[in-house]
Amino acid sequence: MATTWNSTLAKRRNRRDFLKKSTGAVALAAFGIARKAFAAEPVNIGGLYPVTGSFAQIGQGCVNAAKLAVQMVNEAGGIKSLGGAPLNLIVSDVQSDTTVTRTETDRLINAYKLSAIHGCFASALTLIASEVAERAKMPLLTGSSSDQLNKNRRYTFTPFSRASQFAEAQLQMSRLVSDSPKVAVIFENTAFGTSTSNGLREQASGQGVEVVMFEPYSAGLTDASPLINKVRASGANMLFPVSYLNDLILIIRAIKQNGLEIAINGGSGGFVIPDFYKNVGSVGEGLLGVAHWNHDVNADALKVNENYKKQYGEFLFEYAGGLVAQTFMIADALERAASTDPQKVRDALSTLDVSSGYAAMGPGGKVKFGPNGKNIYAHPVGVQWQHGDLATVFPKEDARAPLLKT
Amino acid sequence: MLTTIAQAVVNGLLIGGIYALVSIGVTLIFGVVKIVNFAQGEFVMIGMYISFFLATSFGIDPLIALVISMLALFFIGVLLQHFLIRRVLALGDMPQIFLTFALSLLLVNIALLLFTANYRTVQTAYSETAIHVGAINVPLAKLIAFAVAMLLSGLLWMFLHGTDLGKAMRAASQNRDVAMLMGINPDRVYCVAVGVALALAGAAGSLLMPFYPAYPLVGQNFVLMAFVAVVLGTLGNITGALIASLMMGVAESLGIQFVGADSGLIVVFGMLLLTLALRPNGLFGGWSR
Repeated sequence: MATTWNSTLAKRRNRRDFLKKSTGAVALAAFGIARKAFAAEPVNIGGLYPVTGSFAQIGQGCVNAAKLAVQMVNEAGGIKSLGGAPLNLIVSDVQSDTTVTRTETDRLINAYKLSAIHGCFASALTLIASEVAERAKMPLLTGSSSDQLNKNRRYTFTPFSRASQFAEAQLQMSRLVSDSPKVAVIFENTAFGTSTSNGLREQASGQGVEVVMFEPYSAGLTDASPLINKVRASGANMLFPVSYLNDLILIIRAIKQNGLEIAINGGSGGFVIPDFYKNVGSVGEGLLGVAHWNHDVNADALKVNENYKKQYGEFLFEYAGGLVAQTFMIADALERAASTDPQKVRDALSTLDVSSGYAAMGPGGKVKFGPNGKNIYAHPVGVQWQHGDLATVFPKEDARAPLLKT
Repeated sequence: MLTTIAQAVVNGLLIGGIYALVSIGVTLIFGVVKIVNFAQGEFVMIGMYISFFLATSFGIDPLIALVISMLALFFIGVLLQHFLIRRVLALGDMPQIFLTFALSLLLVNIALLLFTANYRTVQTAYSETAIHVGAINVPLAKLIAFAVAMLLSGLLWMFLHGTDLGKAMRAASQNRDVAMLMGINPDRVYCVAVGVALALAGAAGSLLMPFYPAYPLVGQNFVLMAFVAVVLGTLGNITGALIASLMMGVAESLGIQFVGADSGLIVVFGMLLLTLALRPNGLFGGWSR
């Protein structure tokens, strides 16, 4: 009986012991987990993109690229100076609308503890978001090209080439075609057409390019042949159409139909996205354009392009590719700031100086911001549609494929 | 210079053939059924999408698809007349305008929903080839479109003047009541008229497809010119619409060449205003239909 009692006591003691020890261990473990979680609290970064509305197609591509970039940063161990904190992308749809952009930027900054923002593809939207971000002292990175974004800004950073550089590059590229370039500029008579074409005309003489025809036309052509007949009569050897897709298809086809031998450079934006070629088909072959980023600039870019292609079935387009680099610039700044405070991230961005890795994968291969937020090394590249893909053909040091003669 | 002018005239005539197919349809419906069909451009759009899908899914050349899109649109035209237009014929102008205008909006939006706003092109062997006559370039796809348009216009003329049904159609357009007294069934005649008009729009769509992109709003580009041609060529006058369309194509082309690419239409509308001032019934008012 006694032995039974004793053994029961012993068992009890054992159980108490066990409970004491195990509770301690569990508590310790729990505490450890909590500590770890606290240290690696995710860093919120905002992404403002038009996922609906007229820019939706491109906006969605940007979001896809932004997610891919965050995944890449996190898989590589997150922000090490913050205990391996992962990046957390918070996307907001700015609906291709300036009013929505204003309220969404404001909402995002106030609702979340953000460290930085990137956005918004379209310059018209980015200008608004940048104003809001300046007031909230929130660093904003953007690939938008408007030179306006570098005026009186302290928190806006533009790692890629500016609109004025685009016009310059487009004019210089006409030398690929002829030593004495004679350019015909035809543009739709809208705000977009007029401002872009004026930019080209203003810089032409400085670049030694003769503009032999400068002609507005009414958007929504029924037939481009008369216009092309006029281009032929002008004796131009290079054509800059400033047009949306529908007119562009007609213009390019009319040129082929009329047997006109002329090179075409369509500039940037909607010209250098996979959708363009999908819509235009083989008539797009050999067409020239200008871009602030292209997926063949270096090995890192090619690697990201492969990943993106695997997930989304299309090549990584200009803006989206630049966006991946932007995410790595933010990661670099966070790493050096060792803080999630937007002000400290801003200061770290202003002293950013990279020449390798994903942050630097762009034309020029280096990023360092001047006092106006401009990357002092940025320049645009000339691209050409070759076999349904975009190949960099200009300038010489960036060219990855020979110019396809058309 | 001479070459430039000649090229401009050729370009104008070729696109004028397409304007003619659209405007003949409008003027035929107006002449016979006495309503203005604002949705004519949308039927061109439907013809384009039919050709596009036949080309991309079954590899059928748009020129062969022409037969299918014409038949399909003839059928749609008969249904349209029988179930919709017939109901508003006695109600006066407003309900008729609302009907065809609403139809236009409806069709554009259905197309946006089904096909999205993307541009669709069909690449044929002859899409970018051209015939050279001296220094003049004649794009093959447009030449074919022009030739078929003229052929269809000729066939329509023969149908209207050489067959009983065609004669009945002209009779009904001249005087509905007397035609009924002569034993003509106007409902049947109207159905055929709208069917034929839509078939012409379908033909225009198929003929455009080798060189023009299809998208939901594409009809609007052509319908404006078609309406000007209809008025210029006297409402209801088929030969008038044909000649006016060709004239407008040439005027637009010369306008772009010598006035400015954003003012090609100035010449067209100048012509329209001048005609309306001097001959309010159009160029062919008073001529036989």
